[in-house]
Amino acid sequence: MSAPPVAEVLLSEEQIQERVRALAADISRDYAGQDLLLVTVLKGGFYFLADLTRALDLPVAIDFMAISSYRGDKGHSGAVRLIKDLDEELTGRHVLLVEDIIDTGLTASYLLRTLAARDPADLAICTLLERTARRIVPTLPIRYRGFEVPDAFLVGYGLDYRQHYRNLPYIGVLSPRSKDGT
Amino acid sequence: MLALKRLAFPPIMHHLSPAAYRPPGGRHGRNPKNAACIRAEAFLYWAPMEELPGARFAHSSEAEFARILDFYGIRWAYEPRSFPLRWDKQGHVVESFSPDFYLPDFDLYLELTTLKQSLVTRKNRKLRRMRELYPHVRVKIFYGRDYRSLLAKYDLHPAPTR
Repeated sequence: MSAPPVAEVLLSEEQIQERVRALAADISRDYAGQDLLLVTVLKGGFYFLADLTRALDLPVAIDFMAISSYRGDKGHSGAVRLIKDLDEELTGRHVLLVEDIIDTGLTASYLLRTLAARDPADLAICTLLERTARRIVPTLPIRYRGFEVPDAFLVGYGLDYRQHYRNLPYIGVLSPRSKDGT
Repeated sequence: MLALKRLAFPPIMHHLSPAAYRPPGGRHGRNPKNAACIRAEAFLYWAPMEELPGARFAHSSEAEFARILDFYGIRWAYEPRSFPLRWDKQGHVVESFSPDFYLPDFDLYLELTTLKQSLVTRKNRKLRRMRELYPHVRVKIFYGRDYRSLLAKYDLHPAPTR
């Protein structure tokens, strides 16, 4: 396999795993004795969810959502379309939305509205990365945050470039030459 | 091109009646050169809905961004308000700033810009001036790479950058 076009390793595998364990310890403490459901959105969040849940000292349930755009006759997008909805019931449960990255907050805001409508007992966010430079939605219930990251194109640990590089065990800054297709 | 989608009311009406924002002496108002920041807000000119033409987006990137907002179910208004930035000696507005979008749910104005440096520099200068005059108004520049990455996230559009 050729070397990925990463200009710089921003977060090493060790740094990520250490932080994931710390987040898991906090979640295990805060949700002890609760019926906790962790929800993530495919595809970016599943690496983080997998590592996070394995580090938890709690009996938790997990579930996944996938969303896409609806394309109209002229190719224009319409409303969000859920292409995979949750299998689990949310009513009365403690729900933690697990995200790989929150930048504008638009996606998280949309998902929170969707989940809140199902009447959970509690709803909060756990994000591995946060990029506040691009924030549009000012208030989000981010209860757990791994790292604040700079305004750069990141790949690895779930983050992709044209569906590739999600499987890198670290998070890197994509080389500018790659983005230009050169 | 997408047609303009209007909110039920211009966002300015959340706070004051249109008459309160119409500057005395006409659309351009008086010279507020020595006025306090809070007073400068009273010189905003306001385009009532019936005066708005059947506007279309000035740039395709704005139409793209509107589609993103629709995608997320975020309410928006397109260029609903102009903020005077400079006046001549007669009190006429000689420079103003009309952010591209207003998001009433977040009380936030957004100005889209490309990566062309001359445009970015000019918009940043206007933004600084606006923040001096209207410190309570939330406004943010959103760069081309930012909304292209949003488009890419759910395959709305091929995107070269995140």
